[in-house]
Amino acid sequence: MSGFDFNRRRWVWLAALVVAGNGFFPALWILFTSLKTEGELMRYPITYLPAMPTLSNYVRAFTDQPLWLFAVNSLIVATLSTVLTVVVSAFAAYALTRLRLPYRNLILQCLLAVAMFPLIALLVPLFQTMRGFGLLNTYLALILPYTVLSLPVCTLVLASFFQDIPMDLENAAMIDGCTRLGALFRVVVPLSAPGVFTAAILSFVNAWDEFLLALTLNSRLTMRTLPVGITLYQGEFAFPWPIISAALIVAIVPIAILIAVFQERVVSGLTAGGVKG
Amino acid sequence: MTTVPASPAAGGAIRHRLTRLDWSERLLGFGLLAPAFVLLATVIVYPVAVLLTTSLYRVDQGTPAGRAPFVGFENYLDAFADGRFWTSTLNTVIYTVVTVPGALLVGLGLALLANLPFRIKWPVRLGLLLPWALPVVFAGLIFRWFFEYRQGIVNDVIVRLGFEAPQWLSSPKLAFVAICLAIIWKSSSFVALVLLAGLQSIPRSLYEAAEVDGATRWQQFIEITLPMLRPAIVVALIFRTITAIQTFDIPYAMTGGGPGDSTETLAMYIHKTTIDFLDFGYGSALATIMFIVSAVATSFYLRHTQRDRPTRKPA
Repeated sequence: MSGFDFNRRRWVWLAALVVAGNGFFPALWILFTSLKTEGELMRYPITYLPAMPTLSNYVRAFTDQPLWLFAVNSLIVATLSTVLTVVVSAFAAYALTRLRLPYRNLILQCLLAVAMFPLIALLVPLFQTMRGFGLLNTYLALILPYTVLSLPVCTLVLASFFQDIPMDLENAAMIDGCTRLGALFRVVVPLSAPGVFTAAILSFVNAWDEFLLALTLNSRLTMRTLPVGITLYQGEFAFPWPIISAALIVAIVPIAILIAVFQERVVSGLTAGGVKG
Repeated sequence: MTTVPASPAAGGAIRHRLTRLDWSERLLGFGLLAPAFVLLATVIVYPVAVLLTTSLYRVDQGTPAGRAPFVGFENYLDAFADGRFWTSTLNTVIYTVVTVPGALLVGLGLALLANLPFRIKWPVRLGLLLPWALPVVFAGLIFRWFFEYRQGIVNDVIVRLGFEAPQWLSSPKLAFVAICLAIIWKSSSFVALVLLAGLQSIPRSLYEAAEVDGATRWQQFIEITLPMLRPAIVVALIFRTITAIQTFDIPYAMTGGGPGDSTETLAMYIHKTTIDFLDFGYGSALATIMFIVSAVATSFYLRHTQRDRPTRKPA
């Protein structure tokens, strides 16, 4: 039996290698590319590991395009839309789970159905609407749609947490002089901290990753977000791959740290009903 | 009128109190729902109204919005006569038909592997999370680099194996294959995460019982794993389908729709029509058609989630 166990352990190792390799390889390959010199990249056959690692591509990534600005824009848009999403969906989830409202289920269904609307189909009218309000090339132009993008899943996640908090705790708080809203912020939200966290991370990743709306609504260079900004390094014919790779690594690192730190929360949020493809 | 309260006065008082409480609760409830409704109204409902109206007018560069002539369903009729509309729609359908089952199979494989008893869990979990968390357009850029003719790793492997290196992204068929592979890589990790949660919710006792009965591994997979996984598979499939209909980022980053229009999706055509050619009327008609397709998929989704949502409570 011990021989079988040994084999089995080796299979388990192989499985781990396949799954981790599938996930990490592209990022790893980009990292290697970002450390190669232009000369090494022209070599044929290609090299795998950088022969003489250099950070010059990272310098170029920041000087060729305003990469810092892209990152700051992404951070502002993602953070503000996350805050807005969590507050709005916490209100909605509270109303839908803790209050005796008529047509609760119907309201929830409407909320989900409307919010499931493909934002790509709304590209044209959103562009026209934002232009009409003079909101093109502003943070708000992205924050509003991104909030709606994450609203359904965050409402579902928060609702499932709120449901499990005993009504008695809330009643006790209200007997102690809390208002209903006070009870929401002092009792329900703190007790659902993991759910709030999950919702926040999911909406942050959604906003950080979005491309098409950012491409269309904020076309001014200084208002670009990271996903769009990184497509700007390509020249008319040339693709400066080492520089693009360096910029990609700069953009991937924050989100990779975020999901590494909060991996369990992210997984539980994803499985609450699925988020995006 | 079957239950009569013992004391009408007391019953009336209680009912009266309940109504007042109900009203304050309703007021609060709708007050709390208001921000969500306002957001949905501004970002979705009002734009939908604009979309439907615009699609009935000829709004393009030559005719400013104020004086745009009403053309009825002409934009729609134009779409049906437009070869590029059909090409991009057909491409979108092919991407969907290839990548949804593809991501499901790869995702199922990854989920089964990730479900093995690892002592250290984070490398595997992160290996599933990283592709999901990556912006879609990054996946497109990275795979464009993979499929580069001279310096790409794919052709490097092909040449080392003794075959001739193909021009992946400048041949319509091969570009299609490369884009599908990128989409499958990007989306399979999401599928795997959803399926993994489904796998972990299957009670071990089922497998133990099957083992006692002498079922083989394969029989256990067919008779226990797959049926128990059905709800998770349905959710993953429908979510993937809805996003596949909207495919934009990966072909945009890998080929820009080329060579020619051969890898262009409907979303890309809508984007080009409106943002590059500023033909808002026609673009709106195209977007409405896309909306109808998505609505069908969404209603399908909502009907199913009623019955089988995998895990209600994320823990």
